[in-house]
Amino acid sequence: MEKITAVILALALSLFAYAQDNIIVTGIVTNDEGEPVMGVNITVQDLEGSAITAEDGSFSITLFSGFETLILKGRGIATRKYYLTGASEANISVEKQKEKSNNAEGLSVGFGSQTREANTSSISSIDTESISPAPLINLEQSNQGMTTGMFVQNSSGKLGGATTVRVRGGSTLSGSNQPLYVVDGVPLVSQNQSNINPSNIASIEILKDASAAAIYGSRAANGVVIITTKSGSESKMAIDVDYQFSVNQGPKQLDLYTPKEYNIQFIEQTLRTLGNLYEPLLNRENLEVIYEELEQGNLEVDFFKLFDDPTYQNFTFPNAYGNLDQDTDWQDEVFQTGASNRINLSAQGGEEFLSYFASASYTSQEGILIGNKFERFNGTLSLNSQISKKLKASLNLNYIYSKDYRLLDDQDLGSPLQAIVLPASDGYDPADNYNLIVRSLEYNPLTEINFSDNLGFNNSVIGNLGLTYDILDNLQFDLTGGVDFSELRDEIRQGPETRSGGTTGRSQLGTTNLKNYIFNSYFTYKPTVNESSDLSIVLGASYQKSSSTASYRLANINSISELENLESDDPSLLDPSIPGGLSVFVSSFGRINYAFQNKYLIQVSGRVDGSSKFGLDNRYGFFPAVSAGWVLTEEDFMSSVGILSFLKVKGSYGLIGNIPTEDFLYRRNYYPLNYGSEQALRLQNLENPDLKWETTAQIGVGVEFAFGERISGAVDFYQKNTTDLLFPVPVSLTSGFASAFKNVGEMQNQGLEFNISTVNIRKPNFTWSTDFNISTNESQVVNLNNERLIVGVNAFIEGEAPGSFYMRKFVGVNPRNGDQLWDDGAGGTTNDYESAPRQIVGNPNPKFFGGLINNLSYKNFNLSFMFQYVGGQDIYWATGEFLANSGILNLNQLATQSDRWYAEVDVATYPVLDPAQENTFASTRWLQDGSYIRLKSLTVSYDVPAAVGWGLTYMNVYIGGSNLLTFTKYLGYDPDVNYIDPLDGVVGQNISRGIDNFTAPQPKIFMAGIKIGL
Amino acid sequence: MRTLAIKNNFSVLRNVTLSLLSVVIFSCDSLLDVDAEGTISGDVLTSEAIIQQSLLGAYYSLGGINDGSDGGELLGGDFKVIPELLVRQQSLEVVWDDVNSPTYANFLDKDILLTNLEVESNWRRAYEVINTVNDILENIAGVEDATQRKRIEGEARAIRGLLYFEMARLWAPQYSDATFNSLAIPLITQPFKSISEIKRPEISTVGEVYALVEEDLLAASEALQEFGQNGVYLNYYACQAYLMRMSMHKLDFANAQIYAENIINSGVFALATTPLAAFNNTSNSSEDVFAIQQTLANNTGDITSGSGLTYLYSSISGKGPGSFRVQGISLGASLADFYPNAPAFAGADIRGSVDSVTSETTTVLDLTKAFYRHVTSTFTLSLNKYSSADYVIPVIRMAEVYLTRGEALLELTFPDVNEVVIADLNRIRVRAGLPELVAADFGDAGQVRDTLVLERRREFYGEGLLLHDLKRWSARGWPAAINGSDPLFRKFILPYPQAETDTWSTD
Repeated sequence: MEKITAVILALALSLFAYAQDNIIVTGIVTNDEGEPVMGVNITVQDLEGSAITAEDGSFSITLFSGFETLILKGRGIATRKYYLTGASEANISVEKQKEKSNNAEGLSVGFGSQTREANTSSISSIDTESISPAPLINLEQSNQGMTTGMFVQNSSGKLGGATTVRVRGGSTLSGSNQPLYVVDGVPLVSQNQSNINPSNIASIEILKDASAAAIYGSRAANGVVIITTKSGSESKMAIDVDYQFSVNQGPKQLDLYTPKEYNIQFIEQTLRTLGNLYEPLLNRENLEVIYEELEQGNLEVDFFKLFDDPTYQNFTFPNAYGNLDQDTDWQDEVFQTGASNRINLSAQGGEEFLSYFASASYTSQEGILIGNKFERFNGTLSLNSQISKKLKASLNLNYIYSKDYRLLDDQDLGSPLQAIVLPASDGYDPADNYNLIVRSLEYNPLTEINFSDNLGFNNSVIGNLGLTYDILDNLQFDLTGGVDFSELRDEIRQGPETRSGGTTGRSQLGTTNLKNYIFNSYFTYKPTVNESSDLSIVLGASYQKSSSTASYRLANINSISELENLESDDPSLLDPSIPGGLSVFVSSFGRINYAFQNKYLIQVSGRVDGSSKFGLDNRYGFFPAVSAGWVLTEEDFMSSVGILSFLKVKGSYGLIGNIPTEDFLYRRNYYPLNYGSEQALRLQNLENPDLKWETTAQIGVGVEFAFGERISGAVDFYQKNTTDLLFPVPVSLTSGFASAFKNVGEMQNQGLEFNISTVNIRKPNFTWSTDFNISTNESQVVNLNNERLIVGVNAFIEGEAPGSFYMRKFVGVNPRNGDQLWDDGAGGTTNDYESAPRQIVGNPNPKFFGGLINNLSYKNFNLSFMFQYVGGQDIYWATGEFLANSGILNLNQLATQSDRWYAEVDVATYPVLDPAQENTFASTRWLQDGSYIRLKSLTVSYDVPAAVGWGLTYMNVYIGGSNLLTFTKYLGYDPDVNYIDPLDGVVGQNISRGIDNFTAPQPKIFMAGIKIGL
Repeated sequence: MRTLAIKNNFSVLRNVTLSLLSVVIFSCDSLLDVDAEGTISGDVLTSEAIIQQSLLGAYYSLGGINDGSDGGELLGGDFKVIPELLVRQQSLEVVWDDVNSPTYANFLDKDILLTNLEVESNWRRAYEVINTVNDILENIAGVEDATQRKRIEGEARAIRGLLYFEMARLWAPQYSDATFNSLAIPLITQPFKSISEIKRPEISTVGEVYALVEEDLLAASEALQEFGQNGVYLNYYACQAYLMRMSMHKLDFANAQIYAENIINSGVFALATTPLAAFNNTSNSSEDVFAIQQTLANNTGDITSGSGLTYLYSSISGKGPGSFRVQGISLGASLADFYPNAPAFAGADIRGSVDSVTSETTTVLDLTKAFYRHVTSTFTLSLNKYSSADYVIPVIRMAEVYLTRGEALLELTFPDVNEVVIADLNRIRVRAGLPELVAADFGDAGQVRDTLVLERRREFYGEGLLLHDLKRWSARGWPAAINGSDPLFRKFILPYPQAETDTWSTD
């Protein structure tokens, strides 16, 4: 990682520029009616220099080029950007604005907002302006590397794939470790945060510690991400349009066998199958001689003649060998260059009584693997109305429709990337259903792609209606109702040509219908205590009900519509009844903030949650939190410390609950099924009335600082302890169950977070600013009731990091016979896989991660680029078990596998080819350092000044890219990977992490776009 | 004035808050007592309808209907496949498809790991069924109608009795005086309600298990007698058949003969016209005393689920890979010495007939013989007994009842041979296309017995009966061996799964 650090430093220091010369621009600021506006504060974007308009609205400002962007702010006017076009005079009109209820400078903290200065808990916010315009469909992806304490990992480069997000480490084993997403006040159940149109997001706040998140009570143990979408303000109608075109490519190609190398392997495989007969003959040199001999076109090889040794008879190679004469680049066959388009249209404006924001956007994206495509339509509407002097109403609606042309799961035969293990010298015949010519028992993914459909549809709405009533000047009542509805539909049709299609074809249809309602009511009371104190109190209650129903049908027919039309009693139809889900929360919550002289800050909050998931005795959980801050720079004794302009120390402690994924584990549940054609009933679980909340206690301390206006930053330390960990404890099978959920176990996370923002250069025509963040997190399974939970090569073991890599240690090759050797745990080696003990060999969780963002502006040009890095994580390259395993099953291999053992004198890196080997023998042979640093995004944009002359308010064009450079030692396609096996279930997926199993890499994206304002 | 204003504010706040909180706190429990669609919760076994559904749930798992999770096909699969593989010789008789069905290779290798997935899943699912019927028996009073109560109780006890019997045959030593007090399996007779009731189980002895099996099956016989064939569900005759099987294991031939004759003399069942007609039927054949019901949608599995009897036995496209690949040469009489437990089919035996032309387009309806050329592994054969997952899976056939009656009778009269023994033998032989035998064809009673043994090997090939036969024959003192080993050896008994024993130490 030293190298990576050096790269960061070099980049940070490499760019310097200086500028001089000045011009003076004068003008008048007027309002809608043409009247001059006085007192408007004019600043220059990213540069120094300011002016205030006089009584007649006039101003004069000193600039460098006359192509700068002016920012006009003032009481009662809408903030406006104005692009100068080089002229020395500028007459600018501004619009009136009514102050919004949420302070634009404030932080959303849940049921209210706070200023950054007054906040005492740990909250990160992401400036949506600084999110790269890269065509990421997924909001989580665009947050990667943007802030401390939030680790974002892609599961796969397939479109519409899930993203793993961990706020200060995962805290649970049996539930989701994703943070709680709250969109416009609606806590999501649908996971549709990924599908919110990123262009419509006004702000993102990440509540990381207990004192911030406790107001959300349970489910907030993994942090809370508050997403606020844009809303309109009182102004003339403004229309924004943007369009983007991009091209996606695979990031790299693996160095695989040449056809010759494959054929040499084939020859070795064939001869080794014959046992000892030809073994003395087998070495690399002789294999090449035999290969050359076979190249002559005669399958019968005269070994006596060839090696001048009468021991060897003639041998005829199988006819198949003669057909291994193709040169197929399987990576080329399955990777594609995808084109993507995104268009976004929004309008906003309105009057005091009613202001609006509406937008529509369409995204179509082609993946880097054949057959992968994603289309999405987003529509939003936001209305704000001052109904009367005391009553305000707001409405937010987000509509989502998407259609995902999916691929099979990464580990399934037929998933495109599986093609890389197909022989380079084999080919396929499109007329014969793309079957391979020689290795016809291997499955060509092209068959799957050409003869199947795999579609996912998402039809969702997130909406919120809120009323705010000012009971008194300092007492406000809010009532909000929200919905989060989602209809998902998955269609898979596999024709008779495909492997799963049988003779008739096979169709599957799954639907999920999710309904999530939330009602909140709360009072906000801000009494004036005295001149130097600020007090605010929030007290409220909430009700949330989430239900889901699902259906699934399968029949061996080759049409989704026929499947849909089958009567439910049709004997060919499989349609198991799937138990629905239902969860209700009833909660009351409160928060008190008190600040004395803006110097001493304290916040106390608490929430009582009642959950339908627990029995009568354990139904309610109380989750309190307290935090305090001290702004030292407000103290007299600090005023002499000149360079430090702001310093705050803060500390917090709080408890947050977590609930099980399953509903109603406290009581026995039965679900219906069919025996023959009769309805039957089956017990799902035994009751556990003692089941209770999993509790996460988090303690945090931090410092926020600023040196002048150009350097600011923060340092935070936290420790999270989760106790009463809910997990499935193995029980005697004589109960009929293999495991039962109990509250046992403990997990811990601790970490350090640091971020700093600097304005390195602020010259009239040139600015350069840098944001750097780094976070560490160390997780440990403290107590697991003496159990070990092992899924594949990952394990939860007491005293180790969660999901630690637990497998046999590969220690090399026996030079005498080419045997694969493993550590026998007693200081020696063994060639007996079973007798080699498994051991902790690596950690899939990163030690540190973060990002480096640079912004440079020169006149109307802006360059921003961001590096994102992850350090100290291991990845298990499961792909290698097939792709880099000395020619196992005679599959195509990574080119390095030609360095396998051939004969006794060889000192080889890889073991001998064993023609009988079927077990892949998972071991550290494929465990790799997954650290990387990546040029995540690069954008060059240009504000076109002339656009104003064309009747536009602004025009901006840009080009850029994503994932352009990656520095890593990782052998696979992409170290930003976390294969999620859908068959593992929630617990299994929490255990199994850091796996790359034929997983699609993140694309390299090149893009160009234009944004205009009308 | 200022302080007054604050006070006012607070009082407003307090009133509104109190009313709000009271709504929250006092009406919560009713808000939180909710049910999800499609689930039934709590103590639900209170009515006939629900108890009957729960009983069908027991049949569902007893028949090993595929539930998409952890397998354990019990009567509908593994209780046939596991014992069958335990007697077959690896490669010589059966080439197992390790790639598609790796978890079964242990049985063919006669080296069963404690962690074997099939051992674990069948053990667990068997106890799930036991728990279900225990729950029914405890709540049987919820069935108001006395007739229905009698039937449901009878079926529930029948399930418990036969399942403990099947488990004892697999997981416990063969019943004998020597093993009477040996540890067998845990006997659970009370339902589990709460996870706090789960504890380390006590293991009962062979004698205790057989006692409960007999008690349950006798009670079930009595309760079910008035219900005749009882549709496709467990009936009086199935209980008698299981009592017959149990008596044979106890070497109690007199009772075995009585139980067999209770079934035969009832006239309710009759041998199917040919051996082939006893299989691949969409509903019970005339000789099915008890069979597992399957439909295209609800079955023990095939290629769609990647598990189940059809998946393992059928190589027809769209049905399964046919993991059980029969070496054709092992079926014939010519190499009988090499294959002491093989069927040694001779002459025009329908049960040894082979469809030698098959292809990927062959369907189940094209099959006309007892075996067919394996569709993908064309050097081997597939057994045509469970070729599609929508056919019933016979558990007890009349063929077994006749051959067992013959055997019991022979044992009782040995060394004399009763005519009925030869008649029973001939019923099975003639149906299979073999010539009728007469008493004069046999030199002595030993030859009659040999012929009975041979007919059992032929008739029940692939059905998993032979392992149990070999064990009881060995216990009786007849020559019996598997790959040269005594069938009573420990390695032919399934181990307690490690997933089970692991939980014993932590308690």
